[in-house]
Amino acid sequence: MARIGVFVCWCGSNIAETVEVSKVAEVSKSIPGVVYSVDYKYMCSDPGQELVKNAIKEYKLTGVVVASCSPRMHEKTFRKAALEAGLNPYMLEMANIREQCSWVHNNMDEGTQKSIDLVRMMVEKVKRNKPLDDISIPVTKKAMVIGGGVTGIQAALDIASGGIPVVLVEKESSIGGKMSALDETFPTLDCSQCILTPKMVEVAQHPLVQIISYAEIEKLEGFVGNFKATIRKKARYVDVDACTGCGTCWQKCPVKVDSEFEQGLGKRKAIFIPFPQAIPSRPRIDAENCLKLTKDRCGICEKVCPTKAIHYDDKDEFMEVEVGAIVVATGYKIMPVSAFPEYGGGQYPDVVTSLQFERMVCASGPTLGDLKRPSDGKLPETVVFVKCVGSRDPEHYHSYCSKICCMYVAKQTMLYRHKVHHGNCYVFYIDVRSNGKNYEEFVRRAQEQEGAQYIRGRVSSIYKDGDDMVVEGADTLTNSQIKVKCDLVVLATAMEAPDGIKQLAQKLGIGYDQHGFLTEAHPKLRPVETATAGIFLAGCALSPRDIPDSVSEGSAAAAKVLGLLSKDTLDKEGVVAIVNELTCVGCQNCIRVCPYNAIELKDICNRQGELQRQVAHVNPGLCTGCGTCTPSCPSRSIELQGFRDTELYAEINALAEL
Amino acid sequence: MQELVKKAKELIESKEVDLLIGYQSDGEKGAKPLFVKNTQQAEKLIFNQYCLNNLVTYLKRPDVKALKKVAVVAKGCDIRSFVMLLSENQVSRDAIFIIGMTCDHVVSPDGTGENEKCTTCKVHNPHLADVVLGAPVPEKIAKDKPVHYAQLEKLNAMSQEERWAFWQEELSRCIRCYACRQACPLCYCERCIVDFNTPQWIDTRSNPRGNFAWNIVRALHLAGRCINCGECERVCPANIPLMLLNQSLQEEAQEKFAWEAGYDPESQPPLTTFRKEDDEDFIR
Ligand SMILES: Cc1cc2nc3c(=O)[nH]c(=O)nc-3n(C[C@H](O)[C@H](O)[C@H](O)COP(=O)(O)OP(=O)(O)OC[C@H]3O[C@@H](n4cnc5c(N)ncnc54)[C@H](O)[C@@H]3O)c2cc1C
Ligand code: SF4
Ligand code: SF4
Ligand code: SF4
Ligand code: SF4
Ligand code: SF4
Repeated sequence: MARIGVFVCWCGSNIAETVEVSKVAEVSKSIPGVVYSVDYKYMCSDPGQELVKNAIKEYKLTGVVVASCSPRMHEKTFRKAALEAGLNPYMLEMANIREQCSWVHNNMDEGTQKSIDLVRMMVEKVKRNKPLDDISIPVTKKAMVIGGGVTGIQAALDIASGGIPVVLVEKESSIGGKMSALDETFPTLDCSQCILTPKMVEVAQHPLVQIISYAEIEKLEGFVGNFKATIRKKARYVDVDACTGCGTCWQKCPVKVDSEFEQGLGKRKAIFIPFPQAIPSRPRIDAENCLKLTKDRCGICEKVCPTKAIHYDDKDEFMEVEVGAIVVATGYKIMPVSAFPEYGGGQYPDVVTSLQFERMVCASGPTLGDLKRPSDGKLPETVVFVKCVGSRDPEHYHSYCSKICCMYVAKQTMLYRHKVHHGNCYVFYIDVRSNGKNYEEFVRRAQEQEGAQYIRGRVSSIYKDGDDMVVEGADTLTNSQIKVKCDLVVLATAMEAPDGIKQLAQKLGIGYDQHGFLTEAHPKLRPVETATAGIFLAGCALSPRDIPDSVSEGSAAAAKVLGLLSKDTLDKEGVVAIVNELTCVGCQNCIRVCPYNAIELKDICNRQGELQRQVAHVNPGLCTGCGTCTPSCPSRSIELQGFRDTELYAEINALAEL
Repeated sequence: MQELVKKAKELIESKEVDLLIGYQSDGEKGAKPLFVKNTQQAEKLIFNQYCLNNLVTYLKRPDVKALKKVAVVAKGCDIRSFVMLLSENQVSRDAIFIIGMTCDHVVSPDGTGENEKCTTCKVHNPHLADVVLGAPVPEKIAKDKPVHYAQLEKLNAMSQEERWAFWQEELSRCIRCYACRQACPLCYCERCIVDFNTPQWIDTRSNPRGNFAWNIVRALHLAGRCINCGECERVCPANIPLMLLNQSLQEEAQEKFAWEAGYDPESQPPLTTFRKEDDEDFIR
């Protein structure tokens, strides 16, 4: 016999103002099966919970209905209290008489009647509930970081320092990301490589970090605590274990092509490392330009390699890793000049991107820090910087602000003036956004002490006049049209989501916004989590950020990973789907609609081991209890525990029978 | 019919198949199913425009499934239901030998004139078969809309109240014999939802509530799957125009998902497809 207790909460005046709570408690007593009911001011308070616990014991309750707020608020609280009183927690249900009643009604009679109905429904349901057990799943104590920029490096280091092994997967042949290409960094003007390379070395030397470079994620299966990733190690044509990084091969290689790392301003070989401090310091062959691989000629690198590390028949390889948590730190890319027809669309060599400018002034750049303009090598006496190129322009390009261009343009004007003391530099801007620690002071220094001349306005066109470049635009402060003749134009082009990011997000099952940036579970309260448990985000993969923010987020994501992997098992609710194998016909409807790939076909064989038929089978570890499968089954052969047909039907009937 | 009989004998004699399902004369003008297990029975096989039955429907039966290999005589339209069974994991391709018959048209269920469904047929020459018999039929330009019942258009033009009254009248005749379900090649559930009684979602009594629930659920379970064979309507003893329900859902599937069931065994019915890259623009 069911012995149900009903506990009606006032929620202060939140409920009591619109619902006659004492009447709800009183009427509840007449519902068949209810042996006890009471109302109380704050049911979730300690004394309120005690009330529930004591009643469970005293009246030997077999089921409880708490009529209060949404189960999203306090279901956990009350189920825990039930457990402490010795009742299976799934024998407790909540009737939501706040969000679904008092907050949406203002008539006392209606509110009271509806509350009684809601209580009656839940009483009928809880009478049919079955006790359920939580499911405990083991956790793989290993993490994966995707993207080896400064963000990913930081995350990997922090996770490894916490004692958890990390696999760091980087798309390029070296870790380091964009920061390895920067010159000096705002707001302190310390050399980027000088602060990054120690971190790169530290992560490479860490015994718990395994770096897999020139690799991408092929596939991800599994779920929080138990992911299985397949990593594609792209053909490198160099055996990284045999290679010592001596460099003979790339010195001897006859092919010269534009270097991606140098932003097309310098050359590299067909077998190459992107930059001298690359980690791992092992080259790869660029199959599209290698003479051996394209025309079956040359073959010099194989001949000169002292350790026989070159293999022209190398193929993509796949490796599987099992990890419990994942950090995605895939960073950004910047828009190329060619995207802007109004600024020459890439036809003028002396219109460059800000990242190209970093390489032009960098001591390790293609000119070893000698500032020369690309067209004729002349020292630029006048430079124009244009901000917000492709950003904050919803009609033509991106609606968002790339956030850090204001800062690095100020920095670049200084870097320029430090090289060319007598040079002129102009900055076209819309606003100057400098809201970080010491940032405003930094911009002021550029303007007041380092002679950068800021012009407020958008640039309408850039063209060539003889040897000079001409920048035309509006000065919106003086309301006049201006033309500036210069030697070099630097465009602070927008930061964008990197190539292939949507495909990656789809493989991982995480969300992205209309710009391709990955989306956090909650912009304020869960900024480094995704909606998929166990997958975290950090750095420019989310949206444009500077180094301090990126690094902080790398550490934040690492803290989340360490928290998750500190336990040996994860407990999850017993609310999972179960298949009735007697009636399932294996039509696969449920399998196809399950968003978590939690269902598989299972063979039913006779005693001779011959296949009789196939039915669906739910992996309880993977099932999230979303319930998508249940309505897809025509014959109602798959049911969600805690929401079984009999339970829901009783709920509906309780309402219909009025 | 020489070819058909010859092929059937060959299959039976060589023991390639345990059973062959085909048509025989019903003694008058019409045709009825024939189950061939020996060469003698094979002599009775016929194929003509009176062969209306969709014999693929027998493949869903457990006793037929238990056989190692079965041959079935099928028109292009019937083969569309075989394609659905394949994509829904109900038959194994290796276990079935399909004798595809080219077909210009069949007669309408009352035996007079061309069957409506044949005017939109795109598979006069079977699209998937182990052997195709009969002279090739020139493919005609089929009407692009699957819906040809002038009545459906009339129904769509009605007001909601009129439509409700129409169906109330039609469905009131349903005697809940479930012949529609038994004849349908795609109603293969081990336990149909109408036989599910914990709880009993669908009233089994022949009353307005029960009849509406049953006929609507049946139609919805076939949404995006029904291949327009017309068997359900043909077998209904109460002459309920079930194809009106089926076809209005077919129209939806085609408009919303550009989907027609039963042509491509690799593609999946739209209502049970989940794609992460789906815009989900219907969720607000
Ligand atoms: C011109 C310029 C100047 C700047 N100057 C400064 C400055 O002075 N100070 C400052 O604080 N910030 C500066 N920044 C910003 C700085 O570059 C970024 O904040 C920082 O690089 C972000 O690091 P990240 O690791 O998030 O991204 P990234 O540096 O972009 O690293 C991402 C890494 O992930 C890899 N990756 C991408 N996709 C995949 C994939 N699918 N699988 C595996 N790996 C993948 C990439 O190859 C890359 O190695 C500047 C930016 C620009 C454009
Ligand atoms: S409840 Fe959701 S996650 Fe679980 S098997 Fe069904 S569809 Fe998959
Ligand atoms: S939808 Fe139903 S019948 Fe089909 S496989 Fe799943 S549980 Fe079985
Ligand atoms: S065949 Fe006709 S009468 Fe029989 S159940 Fe179906 S609709 Fe009703
Ligand atoms: S619902 Fe009717 S027309 Fe559609 S496949 Fe089934 S029997 Fe054929
Ligand atoms: S009506 Fe639905 S549940 Fe019944 S047999 Fe047909 S598909 Fe299955």
